[in-house]
Amino acid sequence: MSLNASAGEAAKIVRPVDISVRQLAVSFGQAHPALSGVDLNVREGEFVALIGASGCGKTTLLNVIAGLVPAAGGTLTIRNRPPAAGRSDICYLLARDALLPWRSVTGNVVYGLELSGVAREERERRAAAYVDKVGLKDYREFYPSKLSQGMRQRVSLARAFAVGRPIYLMDEPFSALDSQTKLLLHDQLLALWESSRATVVFVTHDIGEAITLADRVIVMAKKGTGVVEEINVDLPRPRSAEALQADARYHDLYRRTWTSLKASTQ
Amino acid sequence: MTDFAKSEADLRATPPTSGDRSGWIVAARALFLLAILAIWQGAAAAGLVDPAFVSTPVGVAQSLWQLFKDGEILPNLGTTLIEIMIAFVLSVVFGIASAVFLDRNDWLNRIVSPFLTAFNSMPRIALGPLFILWFGIGIASKVVLAFSLGYFIMLLSTLGGLKNVDRDLLLMSRLFGASELRLFRHVRLPWALPSIFAGLKLTLIYCSAGAVIGEMIAAQSGLGLLVQTFSGRFDVAGVMALILIVAFMVMVLTSLMDMTERHLLRWSKGSTDVPG
Repeated sequence: MSLNASAGEAAKIVRPVDISVRQLAVSFGQAHPALSGVDLNVREGEFVALIGASGCGKTTLLNVIAGLVPAAGGTLTIRNRPPAAGRSDICYLLARDALLPWRSVTGNVVYGLELSGVAREERERRAAAYVDKVGLKDYREFYPSKLSQGMRQRVSLARAFAVGRPIYLMDEPFSALDSQTKLLLHDQLLALWESSRATVVFVTHDIGEAITLADRVIVMAKKGTGVVEEINVDLPRPRSAEALQADARYHDLYRRTWTSLKASTQ
Repeated sequence: MTDFAKSEADLRATPPTSGDRSGWIVAARALFLLAILAIWQGAAAAGLVDPAFVSTPVGVAQSLWQLFKDGEILPNLGTTLIEIMIAFVLSVVFGIASAVFLDRNDWLNRIVSPFLTAFNSMPRIALGPLFILWFGIGIASKVVLAFSLGYFIMLLSTLGGLKNVDRDLLLMSRLFGASELRLFRHVRLPWALPSIFAGLKLTLIYCSAGAVIGEMIAAQSGLGLLVQTFSGRFDVAGVMALILIVAFMVMVLTSLMDMTERHLLRWSKGSTDVPG
């Protein structure tokens, strides 16, 4: 099965491959490898969702790309360089918000910019702009302990997009949220991403979330043997998470992904 | 509705602000103190207790007045304060530095941790006479005794704080490209701050005890020396007056630290709406 440019994309200008995974294998020392023979290409500016049953190795794949887990075999390049943790062109969004409890909303956004070496005045200006973008203007000086889970994750999104990196890796950032809040956060993520045009790899176990956000949904095999199917999400952009709930095409894609996901576990 | 249930209900309806309650709390404290003093004075006056053994509040007040009036107390108070401050600063500096070093070098921590526990389990007060033998009857022996108590408290509480730092915060910072120095400044140190403050307050108390007890064993000057002298004369009021002076000193310093702590840790306040 070809995992490269699909029919829909062939018509567009073919963008360069940002993340290239070839025959990747990962082992945690057990007899059975965590991942083996995984192939994946992600093009510049593409939003790819990795979906699969628990234990299929989707987070492991993300962590290999982030340079947190070493590969045991195969090749992996990100913008033509091998993976490394803390690269200045990659931003990783954790499942938990990881906000510094002793810094305010603005302070936390400033922190990401500080670590990225942005000059002081620019930090303040950009942090204020991104806090505004995620709708937390009135909560700028609040400490994270005073915020709801959804608001905390919005701060985390603002911190991530304020630094403006070419590649974003996201590990189930919305898994702890209720479905209403999730839809709100999807819209906010889409707005932030559309103005950044960054490359995104988004790990999730939520089919609806994958379809709402991604250009392409990659269904991974339960046994960690790589990609079972990839589904092109040809829903027009800009999308609205709430409007999609009533869209027939969205539900078709949902059914297709569900069937594929079900097959992957057998 | 009982008063307790009513106050619970009030608490839920309107969160207490510091202003409306602090007034009557101060008044209640003053009443509590007055009640204790009145019972003490009354029991002595009624002949229930012997003032020769327990003195009286008035007796203690007279002794305090006497101590400051002749100025006899001042050089002794100075000696004790200097010993406490030197021992406290040394404990804090070396305690925190050692904790940071052990936290960053886990292999060393694993080698020395049983020895740290052993040293900390030793009754250091019992080593007092040895410290006098080794470091003389001047302030050095008292500083060493107080430091031997304070250092371990500071070390262990700081190390405890550094060890349980949130892994997600470290990972997030590293992925944003933080250097080790920045991780320490922006994550490890602020995370350990509540434990460090808890350690600071205990260290102060133990350094004061160490200094005074050291002086009681053998000294040329100091509040502990006066305690020893007054006990020898069966001057119970004098001993109590001295103990009050030490307690007051420690309380003033502790409340200074409390103020700093409240300022530095204001982010940790009010993380939940549930009272208690």
